Order: sequence, then structure tokens, then C-alpha cells
Amino acid sequence: MDPPANAGGTDLITCGTMKVEGTHELHVLRERVYALLIDPEVLRRCIPGCEALEETQEHSYTATIKAGVGAIKGTFKGSVHLEDMRPPEHYRIVVEARGGPGFVKGSGDFDLEDQDGTTLIKYAGEMQVGGTIAAVGQRMIQAAAKMTASQFFSRLETEAKDH
Amino acid sequence: MIPTEFDYVRAGTLDEALSLLAQNEDAKILAGGHSLIPAMKLRLAAPPMLIDIGRIKDLSYIREENGQIRIGAMTTHYEIESSDLLKEICPLLPECASHIGDVQVRNKGTIGGSVAHSDPAGDWPAAVIALNADVVVASKNGERTIKADDFFIDLLTTALEPGEILREIRVNKSNSRTGQAYVKMHHPASGFAVVGVAASLTLGGDTTCERASIAITGVSSKAYRATAVESALTGKSLDWQTIADAVSHASDGVDFNGDLFASADYRRHLAEVYTKRAIAAAMKSVPSA
Repeated sequence: MDPPANAGGTDLITCGTMKVEGTHELHVLRERVYALLIDPEVLRRCIPGCEALEETQEHSYTATIKAGVGAIKGTFKGSVHLEDMRPPEHYRIVVEARGGPGFVKGSGDFDLEDQDGTTLIKYAGEMQVGGTIAAVGQRMIQAAAKMTASQFFSRLETEAKDH
Repeated sequence: MIPTEFDYVRAGTLDEALSLLAQNEDAKILAGGHSLIPAMKLRLAAPPMLIDIGRIKDLSYIREENGQIRIGAMTTHYEIESSDLLKEICPLLPECASHIGDVQVRNKGTIGGSVAHSDPAGDWPAAVIALNADVVVASKNGERTIKADDFFIDLLTTALEPGEILREIRVNKSNSRTGQAYVKMHHPASGFAVVGVAASLTLGGDTTCERASIAITGVSSKAYRATAVESALTGKSLDWQTIADAVSHASDGVDFNGDLFASADYRRHLAEVYTKRAIAAAMKSVPSA
């Protein structure tokens, strides 16, 4: 019998569920923000550590993302899928990715509110994290998620200004 | 687990290490290895190459220069812990070093590696902040000096840019009116700081506090300067009421961690208790008092 491909057995270790939510304001019209958020080229530039984002079907992508903080870094490969799309106010993102430090499965709802030419982005989602990173790095995951979100929105702002 | 495959190169000089780092974007510098290798064994870190700077002799030193203390990045915790010179002119450094890990860790771990790694429960970041240290960083383009207050940015994240290597740490000598202490609650299994407080107090006449420098580690995503506590002590006479009032601000403005061992509330309580102990210990150690 062949040994399992993932011989470390990380799939069997703990799994935690985390809520991720927040808001971000962008001084850009809502229609424009929506268009940016569903553009794979923009996403590839905005997602921190994203090395590749390729469309497999409409609104479905495979992704390779280098994620982590400081010395704790890994390459995650997985899929991103956009659904429940109601431009310019709402969509849902579903993510599944696996890498050395563990795996991530999650989904999030993005709601865009128009506030007189400014857009308020509200995001709310849940992430399941498993593998070694979940067993030893709970603290790390929360902090990393916050840092990633903040970097993402910073880059999104730059994208909005450049176009 | 064992680490993923990696290349290993040993640099003979700092310049060689900088060149190797510039050519290999994802390489990691290997100093004492006691933060990096455990992470690699868990596969939380998987650098494709390690650049070992452990044999570069001229990165390891403790000396007085231009009225300052200069410590090479590769100086081990043990070398600092056992330095008679430092026990005399900057006792916070050997005291902090003595609390790190265990004998084996102290023999290999380095102050440069520890500061560059910035573990949220590491001991050095608290001492480095409390001492207002300068962190000297080298790159192919030259050198720059970063103040401790600007060095620790977020979880495991420092002001080090890609391609930079921490070379030296500089602190000022203490004087006869300065007392210093490092107090820590050791996690019973890992030995890491559940809370660690570094304090350096300079007294004026009697027990008036002329300057207070207090940093806390182990409770948040990084070590931080307890500015609210410092403000509440500066210029005041250090009686028990003043100290009690001051330490009630130990957790001001900071997000506290909670985990299986200690909840955020418990850590907030510990931060107060250990800050009080650090202040008391620092006061006791003032040479002229």
C-alpha cells in the first residue's frame, strides 16, 4: 500500500472555525468597486502573496498564494469561486486552499453600500483552518487574517486610483 | 515532522551573506536556529535555502564604544547572561537573557536572531524597547539604524526589508541613578513569556521618577512600550499608590491575546501585577539608592 501523499497526517489534526468580518471605505463609486473586486487581474495584484490566479470557468479560479507573517510562511494552492452575484451590491466568495502549514476553507459575503459617491465595503465570513497552523498558531491566524485584509484593501485603493 | 527540502550555504563574511540573500529572494538567514528550525520542523516555515551566518566571528561581540554598548547580532543569550561588563553597565540585558528558554537554547540562540524574529512572547523585544536601543541593519546598499520603537511592527513582523540582515544592537550605559529589571511569568511547558515586563527607571532626588521606560511582551501580537504607565510615573514620587495607579494602565490601547493557558482577561491582570513587580525590582536595583 502506498503511503498517503500527505504523509505528515496534517488533515487529521485540529480544525477551528473563525469569523472574519469588517468594513472598509473607498472613495470610489460602487459600480467601479464591484467591477474591481471581480476582476481576476485586479485580484491577483491585490491579494497579498498571490502568485497566480487563473480562470477555469466563469468566476471560478485556481490560485497559488504565498501566505504568512514573518518567518512563518507557506505556499497555498487552491480554488476561488464567486457566486450569488448581484452587481453592484453583493457577491459571495468561496475559497479552499491547502499548503504545508495546513489548509483553509472559507466563504465570505461582500456587501457594497453607496454613501454619496463613497463605497462602504462590508465583509463577513467564516474560515475553517486545519492542520499544523491550527494546532499551534491560533493567535497567528487571527493576526495574519487582519494583516492580509488590511494589505488587500490598501492595494485595492491603489488599483482604484490608477485606473 | 522533518523540514521540507532546503539548500544550505555557509557565509564566511557578512558581505557574502548579503550577496547570497540578494540572489535568493526566499532564503532565510540561519543564526542560532532556535526559532527558525522548530518552525521548519513543523513546516510552518519552508525556506528553500538557509544562509548560515553562524561562523562569522566578527558578528559576535560585546563592547563599549563612544559611550555606548554595542552588541553583535550573533552574540548568544548565554554570552550576554554571563557578561561581567554588562552586569555592571546594563544589568537589564544579562537579566533578560537569563530568562530565555533553557541552557541549551541560551547557548545557541542569538540576540540578533531573536530580535529579527520578533516572537510575540519573546523576551528580547521587551528589553530592547525598554532600553531605547538602536538596531543596526546591513544591506547591499549600506547600513541604516532603526530605533527600537520603530522596529517591531506587528506579529512576527519587523522593519527589516527583504535583503537586510540585522548586524548590531546599541544601547546606552545605565548610570548610578538608574535601576533596571526584567520579570517574567514562564509558561510551564514552553518557557515562553505568558507575560514579561522590562523596566528601566531613572530616579531624581529621593524616589522621584525622572524617566520611566517600560515594555511588555507575551500578551499581544508583539512587545510594546507601556506609554500610559510611563506617563503616570514620570515626575512623580514612586509611592505605592502612584505605582498602583500607573500599572492599572498596563493594557491601555493594546489588543490582548487569549489562549487555552491564559485568557485575555487573565493576561490583562498579569500585565498589571508583573509591571508592578518590575517597577519594584527596578527601584530596588538603583545603585545610589
